[in-house]
Amino acid sequence: MKNFFKSDWFRCTAVLLCLLVFFGGLLAVLNDLLFVPPEERTARAIKKIYGSVPEYAIELDLDNGGTAITNDFGTISKKYLVGDDVLFRATGINGYKGGTITLWLKVVKTNENYVIDKVILDGYEKQTLMSKFGGDYYENFLIDVTDAYENGQGVFSPKADATGLKNPMSGATMSATAACNAVNCVITYLGGK
Amino acid sequence: MKTDFKKIATDGIITNNPTLKLVLGTCPTLALTTMAMNGIGMGAAVTFVLICSNILVSLLRKVIPSKVRIPAFVLIIATFVTIVRLLLDKFLPDIYESLGLYLPLIVVNCIILARAESFASKNGVLASAADGLFMGLGFTIALTLMGAVREVLGSGALFGIKLWDFQIGFFAQSSGAFFTYGVFIALFAFASNLIANKRRKLSAKQVDNTKEVQ
Repeated sequence: MKNFFKSDWFRCTAVLLCLLVFFGGLLAVLNDLLFVPPEERTARAIKKIYGSVPEYAIELDLDNGGTAITNDFGTISKKYLVGDDVLFRATGINGYKGGTITLWLKVVKTNENYVIDKVILDGYEKQTLMSKFGGDYYENFLIDVTDAYENGQGVFSPKADATGLKNPMSGATMSATAACNAVNCVITYLGGK
Repeated sequence: MKTDFKKIATDGIITNNPTLKLVLGTCPTLALTTMAMNGIGMGAAVTFVLICSNILVSLLRKVIPSKVRIPAFVLIIATFVTIVRLLLDKFLPDIYESLGLYLPLIVVNCIILARAESFASKNGVLASAADGLFMGLGFTIALTLMGAVREVLGSGALFGIKLWDFQIGFFAQSSGAFFTYGVFIALFAFASNLIANKRRKLSAKQVDNTKEVQ
């Protein structure tokens, strides 16, 4: 028995286990202390869109009374009223490896038309080529939604040969599909109104 | 044994600069140097992990059996990388976002494991902390300088402040990263050789003078 406790096998296992338990505990505590709640993340996104914290941002109920609005392109999970603008948090599906991309969209109503005024990235799942999507990329989505619908184009397509509003992104087409779908989700929602 | 902090400092920043001399941590160097600010952010994160992991490895060097030292070091490094991620996400979200995927990849950064294995596991706590600090500084300086050059030439800006409209797109791309890195390594090697030759000549002169006096 004494030999067992003095063996290399036991010492190595014991040291590694001790380190594992100590660091695991430390990280559990720090994870709790440094947790960023969803409300703070939303506040950060709104600040990024407006450059400063707006006077008020009211969370609006989603029209169906549920927690999310889902259509063929993805899901709208949040809707805020900031001044006269409406902010949407939309997640587009069918990205790389079936992953998603979540965007914040600022929609402004001008002359009875809905116009997408600003789009920023909120997060993504399973996408590996997000570094290709610079800030300029999202400017492709700044369109007059009502006009697009009246012209019969409707939604964005990441493929150059497809019909509709084209938004090609070579080398990361799957992720571009998810980004387009996030925007299309909001366009479809607004177009159906 | 007395610790030679001056040697540790010159080793980390100049003589054994991890980026320009040892060519370690190449992945973040190439990927993140599109902006000078990214260099500072990544450098600060790596420096923090280097100092903390070196201190802990040095403290536990007599406790950790040599057979499991590498998994133990990786465990220690991974813990501090996770702490850096949590801290940046909480207090500096912009830098956290700009570093993206490369932040968790610090775990496999060769500089940190190499310093834990070759220095911290053989030296005292103070010397190891100093080694971490100066190696981190060397890494930060190299990344920031590269980032500044690429940002000025590739985007016509410095630290996000627009300088002029003139831009050479090549420097903002990956091929520009390889080119800039190559030029920096070449310039660093040229300067090192120049200094070494001057020192050699100087010491040779001193030897000659001593002989003449004798």
